Amino acid sequence: MGLKVQNVSKTFGEKIAVDNISFEIDKPGVFGLLGTNGAGKSTTIRMILGILRKDSGNIAWNGKEVERKYVNFGYLPEERGIYPKIKICDQLMYLAKLKGMKKKEAEESMNFWLKRLEVEEYKKMPAEKLSKGNQQKIQFITSVIHNPELLVIDEPFSGLDPINTNLLKNAILELVKKGTYIIMSSHQMASIEEFCTDILILNRGKTILKGNLQEIKEGYKANKLELITKVNVENEIKELGLKIDKKLDNRYDILIDDEEDSQRLLNLLISKNIFVEKLEVKKPSLNDIFIEKVGDK
Amino acid sequence: MKSLFEVISFTIKDMVKRKSFIISNIIILLIIVVGFNVPKFLGADTKNAEEVTVLDNTNIFEGKLDELNNSFKELGYDVVIDKTSKIDEIKNKVQNEEITSAIILTENENGLNFEYVVNGMGLTTSIPTDVINAIQLTYQNMQLSKLGIPEDKLPMLNTGNNIQVVSLSSDESSGNIFIMMILSIVLFYAIYFYAYQVSTAITVEKTSRIIETLVTSTSPKIIVLGKTIGIGIVGIIQTLVLILVAVICAKVFLPGEMLSMILEMTKLSPQIIGIIAIYYLLGYSLYALLYALTGSTVSKPEEVQSANGPVAILAVIGFYLSYFTMMNPTSNLNEIAALVPISSPFCMPFRVMMGLSDTNEIILSIIILVVTILLVAHISIKIYSSAILNYGEKINLKKMFKMYKSKN
Repeated sequence: MGLKVQNVSKTFGEKIAVDNISFEIDKPGVFGLLGTNGAGKSTTIRMILGILRKDSGNIAWNGKEVERKYVNFGYLPEERGIYPKIKICDQLMYLAKLKGMKKKEAEESMNFWLKRLEVEEYKKMPAEKLSKGNQQKIQFITSVIHNPELLVIDEPFSGLDPINTNLLKNAILELVKKGTYIIMSSHQMASIEEFCTDILILNRGKTILKGNLQEIKEGYKANKLELITKVNVENEIKELGLKIDKKLDNRYDILIDDEEDSQRLLNLLISKNIFVEKLEVKKPSLNDIFIEKVGDK
Repeated sequence: MKSLFEVISFTIKDMVKRKSFIISNIIILLIIVVGFNVPKFLGADTKNAEEVTVLDNTNIFEGKLDELNNSFKELGYDVVIDKTSKIDEIKNKVQNEEITSAIILTENENGLNFEYVVNGMGLTTSIPTDVINAIQLTYQNMQLSKLGIPEDKLPMLNTGNNIQVVSLSSDESSGNIFIMMILSIVLFYAIYFYAYQVSTAITVEKTSRIIETLVTSTSPKIIVLGKTIGIGIVGIIQTLVLILVAVICAKVFLPGEMLSMILEMTKLSPQIIGIIAIYYLLGYSLYALLYALTGSTVSKPEEVQSANGPVAILAVIGFYLSYFTMMNPTSNLNEIAALVPISSPFCMPFRVMMGLSDTNEIILSIIILVVTILLVAHISIKIYSSAILNYGEKINLKKMFKMYKSKN
């Protein structure tokens, strides 16, 4: 069950946009689709949504080949788009009805989401009168108003302040709890780490990394120490043959080859009676992994 | 089908709710109402001409008054012959607007003299020459009778220039070309204006990026057809409302004879109205689909003009091909213009009105137009499907061709 993408490719003229990619989302949750600009994310998303025809491969939803008319998907594109001069309620109703909803259920769903995202007061206003953040929340509603089985969200938090980001994050978590399958594409690695169970990193149309995020991260050795102390310990670090990656006020980011280095450093600092506020062994973040993988290619 | 209905309904509501649409309609309706009252405002009322007082206080036409009255009635004038008033009294009556105008008749050794009295000459005030001519003819006959010429011979002395035109061409046109040219211009603007709206609507959806959400909800074909049909329906309703208001105004504000004279000149009959409606719909469909195609190639609002340029040129060529050949409606070029799809919607209805086209020609012209529309619809929808997701690089003919050949 779920979404199965198998050996899918797409070329535009001479350019290979997507090169033989495969992945599967077999249970509700958030799947991270990552890549640099022009890596093939939008082309992949458009093929999944059935608005772009693939050259080869298979895309199936619940075992059936994906076709626009047979699937109930939602899409929040990276480039935000709403009718600027039309009232919010009119355009939401239009898009809900286009997705096959009846007037009454569309109205109920619209009112629920407007209230949930705290934009009820703008219901009768034309979109152009709303702030960028509120326009984005409306755009999010257009993608979920019809209760989609699969939701594709491209950069959902860009342009939102921390309060609205939180509001949207909670809404996404609620959708997952309800059983929605979500594909999230973002350059904000922190968001991906927060939500995604599985990821796929694309570069120039090719898959360079995919799998369970936790397992991917566990496959990487610890490579950094974060040390916070009020004493200048540069000499002690050098004494152990370690390198400082970054220093900011009382904080040191230290590169290590082995987790043992942390114990050696701690022992040395204790022996010199230096007070340590924090010492943490750090594994590479998704950001580090992304840079390493994409930077290499 | 449900999606198509939704797109049509949304397009109609969006168009009619726009402030610009409401204001422009109010202005057009006001222009129509005011336009039909212009003759009144300018003081050109035919009633003035109908009510003319003729002062004959010297009894020049004694015994001939009945004959004169009959001539005036035949001309459509209501002439009052005053035999008693003095010249000053008549002038006072005109000045005090008791009567609108008067013709004062006097006689001297040189013959009959006329004095036309009006209370100021307006822009459209004219001397009732046909009344004066009738008086002069009666006076002339009276003088000739006095010279001994028998009455039955008098008409021979008064023969006018009876010229009859004999056309040796097999094609013969009827109707007023000038009126038809005006109707042709109106038809062109109606088709062009509404077709252009399709391009605007599609451009708005593309440049505002809503199209990406729309195409996940319904197919590009439904969007193009929905927009085209929706705007077409608004066009038809708006045109019908304007025509209805014009007809009501004409009935209320224009004299009955003038209205029937105009209808007579346009040769409008239910069949002709049907033909005009068919060509209006087909012409609109053709240009709307062409505009849907160019509208989908636009990435930024400022590119609309240049993207739509080729269709505008095509429409102008079509219109002028029809317009100029209409000056010589029996020419071969006009026959061709009635068959070429870009000009036939503006040309064929008027060839029919002038009685120049037979059923076969009309059927052939409609078949060519319908086939062209189907072809344009196929190409437009195919290119539209690719072009709407294409941003940044300008789409030229070569790229359009590639898009047409591509799988998506």
